[in-house]
Amino acid sequence: MSSLQSNADSTNSEPLQRSNPKKRRKIGHTNSPTLVPWRSDTQQRIYSSKLAHALRHVLRRNHPPPPAKSNTGREVRETADRVLAATAKGRTRWSRAILASPLNRWKLRRMHKKVRKAATGLAKRSPETRRRLPVVQKKARVLGRLVPGCRKLSFPNLLEEATDYISALEMQVRAMTALTELLTGGTSHASA
Amino acid sequence: MSSRRSRQQSGSSRISDDQIIELVSKLRQLVPEIRDRRSDKVSASKVLQETCNYIRNLHREVDDLSERLSQLLATIDADSAEASIIRSLINQ
Repeated sequence: MSSLQSNADSTNSEPLQRSNPKKRRKIGHTNSPTLVPWRSDTQQRIYSSKLAHALRHVLRRNHPPPPAKSNTGREVRETADRVLAATAKGRTRWSRAILASPLNRWKLRRMHKKVRKAATGLAKRSPETRRRLPVVQKKARVLGRLVPGCRKLSFPNLLEEATDYISALEMQVRAMTALTELLTGGTSHASA
Repeated sequence: MSSRRSRQQSGSSRISDDQIIELVSKLRQLVPEIRDRRSDKVSASKVLQETCNYIRNLHREVDDLSERLSQLLATIDADSAEASIIRSLINQ
């Protein structure tokens, strides 16, 4: 964990030595060096500015706010996810999955949940050889459903995608929290 | 159906157990629930369970933040919002 922290610091404090800020040092961290460093400040700033720009379009579309349906929250969420996936530069499967099917993702999720509930009752009865503990396999399947686009992935790839997805989500939460605080501070300034 | 099942499992056992252990330990480092506890006795299924819970929590946080952001954005002008955001990002 400390190696990750030192990576984030070194990205900011040594910009001259490292020409490519996305390369990680290999101190004990054997992840593939082309993945996005979600913990760096720079990355969060990049995401925040992209998100602000994208949200502007959402605002424009809803500026005469339709009082009937108030699903702007979902639009914001979808925009945030899409910008997150774009920031990932398409190197991970979950980011490609988000970018590939933005339209029906939410509706598909609800439909899939209902279909799954009907199907799991039938498929569990076969006695299987205990290569991988079935409990772990079941949990791995749940994980595959949570990470977008990773339903049919093999176990180690699924874990890799999940680690990257978690770091990206954490950054998303940090960036959106900062954005919210900014806007809250901004409104009080404007009214004063 | 059962033959397909066993073939699937014999195919997946080609992945070494060590690789799995390494990936699970990497996951363990990320999830704060597990990282802050004593990390010696955590089983793989517990790591997976906590990971799923953590991802669900993160999703819920993002949803809440999206709701708040949408409410804030409804009351604020787009241009001044983006201007103040960019200004603060530069000043950081």
